[in-house]
Amino acid sequence: MDRDTLYDPEYYRNRELSWIEFDRRVLGEAQDATIPLLERIKFLAISASNLDEFFMIRVASLKDMENAGYKKPDIAGMTPRAQLKALAGATHELVNEQYDIYHELSDELKKNGIDIMTDLSVLSKKQCDFIDRFYSDYVYPVLTPMAVDSSRPFPLIRNKSLNIGALVRGKEDDEKETEFVTVQVPSVLPRLVEIPSEKDKCSLVFLEDIIARNMGSLFLNYDILSTCYFRIMRNADLDIDEEESADLLKEIEKQIKRRQWGEAIRLEVTEGTDERLLERLKSELMIKKDEIYVIDGPLDLTFLMKLYDIADYDHLRAAGYTPKIVPEIPEGENIFEAIRDGDILMHHPYQSFEPVVRFVSQASHDPQVLAIKQTLYRVSGNSPIIAALAEAAENGKQVTVLVELKARFDEENNIVWAKKLEQAGCHVLYGLVGLKTHSKITLVVRREEDGIRRYVHLGTGNYNDSTAKRYTDIGLFTCKDTYGEDATALFNMLSGYSEPASWNRLSVAPLWLKDRFLYLIGRETEYAASGRPAHIIAKMNSLCDPDIIASLYEASIAGVKIELIVRGICCLKVGIPGISDNITVRSIVGDFLEHSRIFYFENNKKPEFYCGSADWMPRNLERRVEILFPVEEENLREKLMHILKTELDDTAKAHILQPDGTYRKARRTKKSINSQIIFCKEAAAQAEQLGIDRAKNDVYVTRRFIPEEPV
Amino acid sequence: MATRIFGAIDVGSYELNLSIYEFDQDSMKVIDSIKYRLDLGTDSYSKGRLPADKIEELCRILREFNRIMKGYHVSDYRAYGTSAIRETRNTRILLDQIEQRTGIHVDVLSNAEQRFMDYKSVASKGNDFIRTIDNPTAIVDIGGGSIQMSLFDKDKLVVTQNMKLGVLRLQERLNELDATPAKYDDLLEEIIEAQIGVFKKLYLEDRRIENLIIVDDYVSPITWARTKDSKNPGMVSAERFMAFFDRIREMNPVEFCRRYSVAMENLQLVYIAAKLINSTLKMMGTENIWAPGVSLNDGIAYEYGERKKLIVIDHDFEEDIIACARNISRRYMGDDKRGKTLEKICLTIFDSMKKITGLSKRDRLLLRMAAILHDCGKYISLYNLAQSSYDIVKATEIIGLSDSEREIVAGVVKYNHTYLDYDIDSVNSEHEDDDIYMRIAKLSAILRIANGLDKSQKQKFNDIKASLKDDVLTITVRTNKDITLEKGMFLRRADFFQEIFCVKPVIKQISKV
Repeated sequence: MDRDTLYDPEYYRNRELSWIEFDRRVLGEAQDATIPLLERIKFLAISASNLDEFFMIRVASLKDMENAGYKKPDIAGMTPRAQLKALAGATHELVNEQYDIYHELSDELKKNGIDIMTDLSVLSKKQCDFIDRFYSDYVYPVLTPMAVDSSRPFPLIRNKSLNIGALVRGKEDDEKETEFVTVQVPSVLPRLVEIPSEKDKCSLVFLEDIIARNMGSLFLNYDILSTCYFRIMRNADLDIDEEESADLLKEIEKQIKRRQWGEAIRLEVTEGTDERLLERLKSELMIKKDEIYVIDGPLDLTFLMKLYDIADYDHLRAAGYTPKIVPEIPEGENIFEAIRDGDILMHHPYQSFEPVVRFVSQASHDPQVLAIKQTLYRVSGNSPIIAALAEAAENGKQVTVLVELKARFDEENNIVWAKKLEQAGCHVLYGLVGLKTHSKITLVVRREEDGIRRYVHLGTGNYNDSTAKRYTDIGLFTCKDTYGEDATALFNMLSGYSEPASWNRLSVAPLWLKDRFLYLIGRETEYAASGRPAHIIAKMNSLCDPDIIASLYEASIAGVKIELIVRGICCLKVGIPGISDNITVRSIVGDFLEHSRIFYFENNKKPEFYCGSADWMPRNLERRVEILFPVEEENLREKLMHILKTELDDTAKAHILQPDGTYRKARRTKKSINSQIIFCKEAAAQAEQLGIDRAKNDVYVTRRFIPEEPV
Repeated sequence: MATRIFGAIDVGSYELNLSIYEFDQDSMKVIDSIKYRLDLGTDSYSKGRLPADKIEELCRILREFNRIMKGYHVSDYRAYGTSAIRETRNTRILLDQIEQRTGIHVDVLSNAEQRFMDYKSVASKGNDFIRTIDNPTAIVDIGGGSIQMSLFDKDKLVVTQNMKLGVLRLQERLNELDATPAKYDDLLEEIIEAQIGVFKKLYLEDRRIENLIIVDDYVSPITWARTKDSKNPGMVSAERFMAFFDRIREMNPVEFCRRYSVAMENLQLVYIAAKLINSTLKMMGTENIWAPGVSLNDGIAYEYGERKKLIVIDHDFEEDIIACARNISRRYMGDDKRGKTLEKICLTIFDSMKKITGLSKRDRLLLRMAAILHDCGKYISLYNLAQSSYDIVKATEIIGLSDSEREIVAGVVKYNHTYLDYDIDSVNSEHEDDDIYMRIAKLSAILRIANGLDKSQKQKFNDIKASLKDDVLTITVRTNKDITLEKGMFLRRADFFQEIFCVKPVIKQISKV
């Protein structure tokens, strides 16, 4: 078959529609009655915040394309306009589903004693007094009411903020025209306010309801004719022209301020909003009909994230999981010695991220360490890694840190850290023009008795100790020279020096990675064609690179067995007769966010395993600095195979992609298999075993006789 | 610590290059290599000086290099400038500026020294090198401005020639000629074959060269990347290379660059370098190519390791220099036998005088060179022997020698035949270093008496010994032949020797039994 025919748009799914399917799977978790109630609430909140982000980035960028008259179809053959049209239907549907579930869950909450009250007229006198007191003490001082008339232009409505709009008329003059006024619901106050209630119950009211009840106090000389709640979303996709900006840092600082001014692309209003009010908003914000979402319930469900943390309701939450120690590197042990004993593979968050932090902090005060080099993409607030790097620089080590400023939504945070590191004497790099540095790598150069030795940590996740508790990722420690040389070369490249002529072990995007993947897939195709065993298992977050997909189709046609575990977007279609019969796709959506990328190629019974930071997406393969690294030690490869196998066996949290593009939950066999829970248990058992082993050794220690020191 | 960390910096014409080496138990290993593209050549070649912004950038990167070297705690470093620095007219000023602003002391390499370092970088590959040169081998070292073609005879380097066929120079020529790319191949062939043809006629005649070693920045990385995991990294058959060359010409450029990881802007240079190799292959009938993938920095580190005795060297590089000198002498009808006798007498005297001359091991090598080349000028004029010899040595590039060292050899050869001038400037007009004057004086004093001892050119003094006691140098010769002529010549020259060293040389003859 001619390869070109494999690019037929018929064979591809639009990535945005596929994303909607993903968010629907997240929402599906909120519907799962086997999950504790507050956990379900959390999934609903996640699906809502996901959708917000989707609007700000994906929908916004499609709107940009449409405005610019860009008509080029995507891989599924859809023009930006066609995509927007399809999305409008899909997103409205998704929002409706979210609110159906919201009502269902809020009823459940009520049954469990958590009452989110929306009708303030049923409140007792005591409760009303509390609300009004709360309003005058805490809310009123921070409100900024704004009126709109001929002398006052329509105010800037901040992106994602919740607002109350009202039509008012002057009390003095009945003939006077109605005026539009608006006030932002302050984001500094909690969205839900707990009010006095019966014992063992929790009654909550919305902040916006409290304000609405007291609107009169804000517009004393006016009658309030009608009110509504509304929220807008603006275009937030940053397109920085890097060629022109002399100083990237400044440019990004500027962009953050400008972001709030983007074009409005979505308006949410409460159901039953006065037509005149709606018209007013529509025309002022220049928003089209299909961009308006009429909401049956509270706007902006992300408040549920806070509700999840509500005190005293632990029985409605899943028992928390504490990451377990990594047996190869127990706390207090010298990490470099452990790595010299052999490569170490870690599986977060089942296993603790602490060794990674310790790797940097131990290096920072180890007199033998000459240099530490690290890429930082998204760092947590108060990151211990940053502190260790700063300390290392103060201790006279050469510290080179690449801080990626283009990490979406995190720029402000990153700039602060970057400046802090510079002050401490670190050599801070801000990435390469035009390329986002997405690779996660740390290099420690140590001068030892027998010469320079390089220790490398490679990961699939960010150096962020707080997300490392929620994201599943793979990390590898090694001091093999081949990896060390590559790591050194990579940092030289990131510092603006020429790239090396060749790499030992690492494959680096954007220059070499895609070809590498195409080669690996192609090799399986050749094996299959010559009748030898051929098998690919690949786990990633998203799959939408057309060249990779075409190669996978080619491999499937040749008879390669392809099992994909793709959490999010998947533009590949399964079950196309004669094209993708040998491909299965499953998505695991569970308590932890599946984030690791693991690739297995059978290679004619000489299997190769790779991990990396890149998904099979054009942006990862072509516009970012990404790393793919092989895992070579046999015991570590077994670990990876076990991870892949268990996830392929998952029946509890896995969703199987259907030929029509929808996902169906994996059919349950006799017993439910939940891969995430299995990994949790295994990590706990390993850590426990270590505890037993250590305890045994301790017996020895206590039995040792210690000679008296001469005085 | 058992290991020693060394930094090598190459301030090249189109690239700055820092490599960090670790010397450990006789071996040398690169642990970091940093390249930064900076075109110094264009300004230096055309205007003779570097503009302020280039100096600024150069200093910025060198400061950065210095920071990196400190990070590795390097115990020593060497930084060398090549043709771009060499061809600035204000070299001394520039180098001083660089040192003041970056703390890095940069020395300038002459072409002959630079090529010799490149040659050493190839030798740093150890066994592969020794095995390769066992068969007839040539090295082609392709630079931006010129190429250096060297030949081995057995395991010694015997001929080396510089030809103005550097890739950047050829690229400029092509641009000047304003030819269409379709004609490039024929044009290049003409230009290249004209020069390599002369080289072949002069030195090769009908000999075949089995192995070709390539040192370059364009083809080597590709070859190396594609063979590094094979049994013989960097080695390819001529046949395979020809196929690769065809691919450059025939493949879609974008596709080619992707496949071979070549930057688009370098494609033409890759093509020119490949064309040079291709033509050489054809003219020499070569079977194998070896691209060891080495850099000047490897040579710098190797030489450093050699000097500091950090590595074991299996190859005698001085012998290469000597072999080249003999070859030059042969070209000017020098008498091999006579040269060897003279060399022997010179070295006998040199060694016996070691304690009081203040001369180094390197000077000993220069004296050998002078002995070998002492009368090459007779090829031109017997009457004006001194000046003709001087001119020949000055004009002949001798691999491994710096410009000032060649000046010394030329001077020694000249003052072998004529009296030394007391006006320092007239002896040493090109170099500000007055050390050169004294080295010329001392070495020529030795050569002169040695030459006197072999005046009849009948090698009567093959069996001699010399011993220094107080202020008398006794040269004992075992021969039954009549040495009246030599004694006479010797006396005339002894005065000069005595003036220089304050030692009186005397001859003592012992008859063989």
